[in-house]
Amino acid sequence: MRVLILTSGVPFTRGGAEILAESLRDAVCAAGHQAEIVTLPFQSCPPSRVPEQMLACRLLDVTESCGMRIDRVIGLKFPAYLVPHPNKVIWMLHQHRTAYEFWDHPAAGDLIHYPDGQVVREAIHRADCTLLPEAKAIYTLSRNVSDRLRRCSGIDAEPLYNPPANALLFHNGPAGDYLFFPSRINSVKRQWLVIQALALCREPVRVYFAGEADNPAQQAECAKAQRELGLTNQVTWLGVVSEEQKCEWYANSLGVVFPPLDEDYGYVTLEAMLSSKPVITCADSGGPLEFVVHQHTGLVADASPQSLAGAMDALWADRRRAAALGEAGRERYLDLKISWENVVDKLLC
Amino acid sequence: MAQNHGLRILIATVRVPFVNGGAEIHAAGLCRALREAGHQAETIAIPFKWYPPERILDQMLACRLLDLSETVGVAVDRLIGLKFPAYLIPHPRKVIWLLHQHRQAYDLWQHPLSDLHPYPNGDDVRAAIHRADRELIPQALRVFANSRNVAGRLQTFCGVQAAPLYHPPQDAARFYARPAEDFLYFPSRINPSKRQDIVLEGLLQTRSQVKVYFSGPADEPAFERKCVALAQKKGCADRVQWLGPVSEEKKRDLYARSLGVLFPPVDEDYGYITLEAMLAHKPVITCTDSGGPLEFVVNRETGLVCEPAPQALAAAMDELWEDRELARRWGEAGRARYSDLRIDWATVLEKLLA
Amino acid sequence: MLKINWFSPLPPAHSGIAYYAAQILPVLANRHEVVAWTDQGQVAPELERTARVVRYDPANPPWRALNDADVSIYHLGNHGGIHGGIWRVSRQHPGIVVLHDLCLHDFFAMVFLRILEKPDAYLAALERWYGEEGRRVGEAFLAGGIGAETMGQRYPLTREAVSGALGVITHSRGALEGLHETPASPVAALDFPYAATEESRYLGWMAARSVAPGPPYRLVVFGYLSRNRRLGALLEALAGLDEREQFRLEICGQLWDEGHIRTQIERLGLGSLVKLLGFLPESLVEQKLSTADLAINLRYPSMGEASLSQLQFWDYGLPTLVTRTGWYASLPDDATAFVRPEHEVEDIQSHLRALLADPGAFRAMGERGRQSLENNDPEKYVDAMTQFAAIALRRSPLVTALALAGRVGNDLSAWLHPAASAYLLDRASQEIVTIWPGKPRGYP
Repeated sequence: MRVLILTSGVPFTRGGAEILAESLRDAVCAAGHQAEIVTLPFQSCPPSRVPEQMLACRLLDVTESCGMRIDRVIGLKFPAYLVPHPNKVIWMLHQHRTAYEFWDHPAAGDLIHYPDGQVVREAIHRADCTLLPEAKAIYTLSRNVSDRLRRCSGIDAEPLYNPPANALLFHNGPAGDYLFFPSRINSVKRQWLVIQALALCREPVRVYFAGEADNPAQQAECAKAQRELGLTNQVTWLGVVSEEQKCEWYANSLGVVFPPLDEDYGYVTLEAMLSSKPVITCADSGGPLEFVVHQHTGLVADASPQSLAGAMDALWADRRRAAALGEAGRERYLDLKISWENVVDKLLC
Repeated sequence: MAQNHGLRILIATVRVPFVNGGAEIHAAGLCRALREAGHQAETIAIPFKWYPPERILDQMLACRLLDLSETVGVAVDRLIGLKFPAYLIPHPRKVIWLLHQHRQAYDLWQHPLSDLHPYPNGDDVRAAIHRADRELIPQALRVFANSRNVAGRLQTFCGVQAAPLYHPPQDAARFYARPAEDFLYFPSRINPSKRQDIVLEGLLQTRSQVKVYFSGPADEPAFERKCVALAQKKGCADRVQWLGPVSEEKKRDLYARSLGVLFPPVDEDYGYITLEAMLAHKPVITCTDSGGPLEFVVNRETGLVCEPAPQALAAAMDELWEDRELARRWGEAGRARYSDLRIDWATVLEKLLA
Repeated sequence: MLKINWFSPLPPAHSGIAYYAAQILPVLANRHEVVAWTDQGQVAPELERTARVVRYDPANPPWRALNDADVSIYHLGNHGGIHGGIWRVSRQHPGIVVLHDLCLHDFFAMVFLRILEKPDAYLAALERWYGEEGRRVGEAFLAGGIGAETMGQRYPLTREAVSGALGVITHSRGALEGLHETPASPVAALDFPYAATEESRYLGWMAARSVAPGPPYRLVVFGYLSRNRRLGALLEALAGLDEREQFRLEICGQLWDEGHIRTQIERLGLGSLVKLLGFLPESLVEQKLSTADLAINLRYPSMGEASLSQLQFWDYGLPTLVTRTGWYASLPDDATAFVRPEHEVEDIQSHLRALLADPGAFRAMGERGRQSLENNDPEKYVDAMTQFAAIALRRSPLVTALALAGRVGNDLSAWLHPAASAYLLDRASQEIVTIWPGKPRGYP
């Protein structure tokens, strides 16, 4: 089959969606098909640009190239998933979030700051409701995304999990004296919550953060919080680490702490499970909750510094239990049969 | 003096899914050169399907609806538009570097393989393309063209001026020369516009036992059959080799060892092959109606420019075959000319970002 | 329940719309979460007790805060100074526009010419709705060659005020014709809200009136009395009546040209029958209305919109004489006495004689007028407004679709060859309709 993967991208940014599109393309090719990624540029401000780009997507024709049929298109993101095609399958990473769950988010909300933000938001909602059902099938990145889709647009979609990149590289190692938190540094991932929790820990918990900040202000804020709480030894900033290094950090950790706010999916959870490490997450963390089973593969705390501190202390104090939770995590991962073959099967059937 | 480092630059081009060609190489080369010069650069490739004709109109509008003036609140300093209809994307600081316009609406309007002319609305769409090019190309800050040939077409059809801006072929630094062996090299895609057929007809008329190696994929099965049949005539077969698609490395090796390069396409926009031959210190045989190559090949100095007829090509091939020293000298002159023309990415960037 | 942003003049501003807001806001705030946005220096404290009043700067509207509401309701009237800021917010942040006046030329002249100082925008607006002719008369107006009144009557620019709105509310069925309802932007005519005075007080007025019944019968005229109030015709009609001694006329309100009226009264020999009382304070208004026998509420030409004073007369159970035009033409036959614009003097005289012949019939007319105020119950008004808001909100994507179509049309006109425009305009429209269908699934 000739398959096009359609996604939207903001020029000069590269994130999880780009990596996922590439992994999907590679998996489709590995299954014996031809696949290419089409990334349409997307600029979401000012709001009046959004309906224009939606129309632009609708005007494209990807049914054929040079007389040969394009058998299937897989839409990943708004508004690229609006491009028409008789054999379209959507694997939704998320809808246009600032029109939905990020509408009034203090940091991420953007439409809400514009005079025409509201009408454009309504227009996006209506268009999603009208056009998403054009697809032959709709899958999502996770149950979290499916739930949002059902709540906001009344559309049912099956979650379709995919493995993290370099899944085979993750491995177990002797548990060291730190909890690991690899992620982009911003207010949504909530490194600040972990820092506040650390100040309340009774055990000498240490956390190693890996990753870079979305912008310098975010890093500065975390550093400030760390200073003000007097947490010099308990916090280490590893900065950007290579994939191999990241695997090692996972392998040698006592456990992983990952308490983002309403995460779509959360590869970190899966990477931790593959590394046989327990995961501490929060009750409002979204995606991770589909994988972390409280007291079985990790701990689910409330989104408060006290509760999170309690969970970190619990893990720190009982290393044997931590290891057992981690093992159970790995088994759970394997039971879930998360593989690219499964993804490709579903998307191309 | 303007500070021209650390700019955010988007390159706008089109893409035909599952087809890779010169346009991709051009965009990739430009992108790499920009990044090496310290800028942030990315290529935006809009999927393009040009048939039936009204689809072209749809996609022209789609391009007009995109907004690449900034991303996440930070300005995009330049948009460099390379191909139709992507160069129609609006931007306050757009530079167009035309690889070519939509030729089927211009010089290829009545071409037998046209995807525009045969349709009932072909005329209307052609008129729309002309008007759009005329109105919108001049809105760019600056307009460049791949070659004088392309600039000339723009001037003739649209009355719009563009400055020719040459760029190096892919991996220009990797071409090299070796002592010439007994073959002429014709490394182009095999299709009617490249005219392997008249070279073969010429080959049948040569005095000497000229040998020609053809490499490259065949675009059209019918034309390929025609060529193969010609090559098998009257003892020509042992003088022709069909190498098919070859790796870049192998291609450079063939250039290096060839006696000279054959490249007589009809009205080529630009022609990387001419430049690759010059980089390999080899003379080029081309024709008076070949377009782009004529901006580089100087008759009887860096190669031969002959009539697009089998006899003329035969004579040209014989001349090189019979005077190896002449061929070598012309090849060296070709390499010198390449340097004189300052065909390098630094020059390109200087012009594009001025 | 809705979260509503409310934009209107508020008490103590001297505006009928402020009075209207004072009536409606408490009822609305009972049902919904209302924020009344204002740029007035002062707002009556009673109002602050019923709804949340927030000050804003029209030059810098607080979009973030405005976007917390579900819908914004903008009240527009003909005064550019009062409504200019509101209108400019409404252009950027689509909501429901309530038109309190339909002739808005004065409004736009002030906004474009004096406030924004953009004569080009003024001319462009005229051209947008009235074509080449509009531009020409606009230029003539700027040069002083045409008067504001003429402009207002012939080029009211009503649609300019509501372009891009989610929905439009007027208080006059006649307005609906001029407003071109579209699927994107519904239009509704609601009965102007008026809270009738409580029954016991009304009965008191009835009693007072019956204590000293005429003749002579007391005729009253109230309000800002410009030329269209037809005082000239009224005075002539009275002067021409044999029975004129049976009537007394009290003219209460600011006269457009007092000198002219006084001269006319003298010339017609009506000095003993007609009194000019000027603008009356509240307390005296009640006294006059509760003892009058007939209110003369003529208007010609009419600017189309509803009349608060008419409802006020009915509140007092007063029979009224109105010109059969505009909103007045839609008043119930049995609660109003009509005067034809081309037969003013004749019809006024005929009604005055009828009053003499059968004052009871006129009293009954007044009572029926009072009863009809049921339709103007502010609770009913807020009901209707709420329903309308829900409909308009459901249609809001169509407003976005329309704006997009406009922008597409603009871009295409810069580069699209005419030979291809039919196809591409159609294609773009079709696709826009596909994305935002007029009748979305599951919606009425």
